[in-house]
Amino acid sequence: MSLSSLVPLIGISDVVIGLSLGSRLFLIAVGLSLIFGVLGVLNFAHGGFYMLGAYVTLAVVSNVVDNFWVAAVVGALAVGVVGAAIEFSAIRRLYERADSDLDQLIVTFGFVLVIHETVRFVWGSGSYSIDPPDVFNFSVTFGGSTFNAYRLALIGLAVAVLVGLWLFITRTYFGSLVRGTSSDREMAAMLGVDVPRLYTGVFFLGSVLAGLGGALSAPLQSTSPALGDQVIIDAFIVVVIGGLGSMSGAFVGAMLIGMMQSLGPQFISAGSIAIPFLAMVIVLLIRPEGLFGGIGE
Amino acid sequence: MSATDTGGRVSRFGSAVAEGWTRERFGLIGALVLVLVAFAPPFQVYLFTDFLVVALFALGFNLLYGYTGLLSFGHGLFYAGGAYGIAIVLRDLGPVIADVVGAGISPLVTFLVGGVVGLVLVVAVAVPVGWLSVRLEEIYFALITLAFGMLGYSLIIQDPAGLTNGTDGVIVLLGTVDLGGVSLRVGGRRIYYAISAVTVVAATYGVWRVVNSPFGTVCKAIRESPDRAVALGIDVGHHRWMTFIVSAAVVGVAGVLRAGLASVASPGLTHWSTSAIAVIATVIGGATYFYGPIVGAFIFLYIRWAISRFPALEAYWELFFGALLIAVVLFFKQGAVGGLMLIRDRLVGDDADEPSDDDARTTDGDGS
Repeated sequence: MSLSSLVPLIGISDVVIGLSLGSRLFLIAVGLSLIFGVLGVLNFAHGGFYMLGAYVTLAVVSNVVDNFWVAAVVGALAVGVVGAAIEFSAIRRLYERADSDLDQLIVTFGFVLVIHETVRFVWGSGSYSIDPPDVFNFSVTFGGSTFNAYRLALIGLAVAVLVGLWLFITRTYFGSLVRGTSSDREMAAMLGVDVPRLYTGVFFLGSVLAGLGGALSAPLQSTSPALGDQVIIDAFIVVVIGGLGSMSGAFVGAMLIGMMQSLGPQFISAGSIAIPFLAMVIVLLIRPEGLFGGIGE
Repeated sequence: MSATDTGGRVSRFGSAVAEGWTRERFGLIGALVLVLVAFAPPFQVYLFTDFLVVALFALGFNLLYGYTGLLSFGHGLFYAGGAYGIAIVLRDLGPVIADVVGAGISPLVTFLVGGVVGLVLVVAVAVPVGWLSVRLEEIYFALITLAFGMLGYSLIIQDPAGLTNGTDGVIVLLGTVDLGGVSLRVGGRRIYYAISAVTVVAATYGVWRVVNSPFGTVCKAIRESPDRAVALGIDVGHHRWMTFIVSAAVVGVAGVLRAGLASVASPGLTHWSTSAIAVIATVIGGATYFYGPIVGAFIFLYIRWAISRFPALEAYWELFFGALLIAVVLFFKQGAVGGLMLIRDRLVGDDADEPSDDDARTTDGDGS
């Protein structure tokens, strides 16, 4: 089969959908990768944080202020506070243990259950949806296909988050502390960095990113208590492929998986949902540090 | 004064009980419980069978986690492997086997053949999956097993080979054995309980033998210090691989039993949330103890059942186990069995103070 016969199969809308799926995945995965890169904690509850961000945003929009952007910020900050509280009360106790990695994974898995049930208790088992904010709530026709403008906006927002985070990590004082602590924790502590406080701060930031991801993705998905369990697995795939701890890796990994989810079913009819897992296995075996950059990039 | 006397008597009684906790008596009590359960009301028989199956699942999982330190989030793959193995044999080979051995005994023979096929299937999957997975450690091992499990889940759901019947799963019909006028429904609660109990006890004994063999000792050495094990000339990778395969096989047996109990082999068995049940049961019970996963499975199923008695709480039982899991890992890593050991040690410890009665009293006074 020649290339020219393959190309027409890929419509513009497939690409846009793939990129917007990728943007959503990036917003889920980037905080997970940040937390792992600095703290060495693989936060199983990150999908729960994402889901919580979506729920809080929906609740604020329908009960408090009818402004999506304000609600999204409130949702993100609320999740940040929850995350910081969990780090401060539970995860902090495990850093010094011999097998801390697995204990952290199990404890954060415990929080998966707690968050899932709490969300179900507060908001019920049904699913909610929300219209995109008015500014972007119109259809775009481009190259013969039509899609909601919010899909494009989400791609822009994901890029903005990536650039903002990169500037924050590389150009600010706090960012330099984060980088320093991530590459050598003991040396940073000796140089006077308050490591425990920094860890809580980074966990807060990572949780805010998860909450923001859930909030911004809310118009493009139905929000139900099962959401957290679904997205955490996608987030694991993305950070493994991009490289645990790498933020640019998370972006590339997310876009790859997004495109795979959008285009995969057109090329392989059976077993298409298995491909991302197969990719994850292969990357773990061949390049456990991920395809892009090493830890701490 | 009188209160202190009672306290002394209680502690003396306690130490007498603790002294009697020998393995033989434990075994005898266990056997008695297993027999008595057979006469319990039908639902209790079902619940106990469920407990036995989950216990074997967790026991198999913990062979890897507790004895080599590798945390798998993908053992649902082997649980499902056993379940689908027997379900597909029952569906596709049942009539063939009936032709060969006669219709009377065929359900039992088919069940045995299916069990063996399930086990062989699980081992056939575990050999390559384990070989690849044990190259990684800690978080990376957890992630690759999770990925293998979800890979299996995807394939079962999408069913490219036309074997697994997609999201509906494969119905398991165990049939009725008919021998000279005596008919026994293999899937009947009490019959199936008997099959499960015998299988689980035999498998547990097998695992116990493995753990206490030279092989098991080497595994424990690897768990304590992989580097030192290497320095002693132990092939760590090979031992981890072998443990992975044995662990998967035990989980596969549990999967075979699960299929018959649930009357269906469903794709949910491969999902990571099923693998997590083994993690929850093992951690709550105490991963460093042989019986930890069994006690954990007991707590898991019976507390879940107890919670389900209260309609207001029924839907939120996961909340309880999430909180319990967090509390155990943070504050009491030894789990429930560790707690029982502590209580026993305290009772036996009081026994040591027995000759000096005054000391015992002081301790009692301090304690209250």
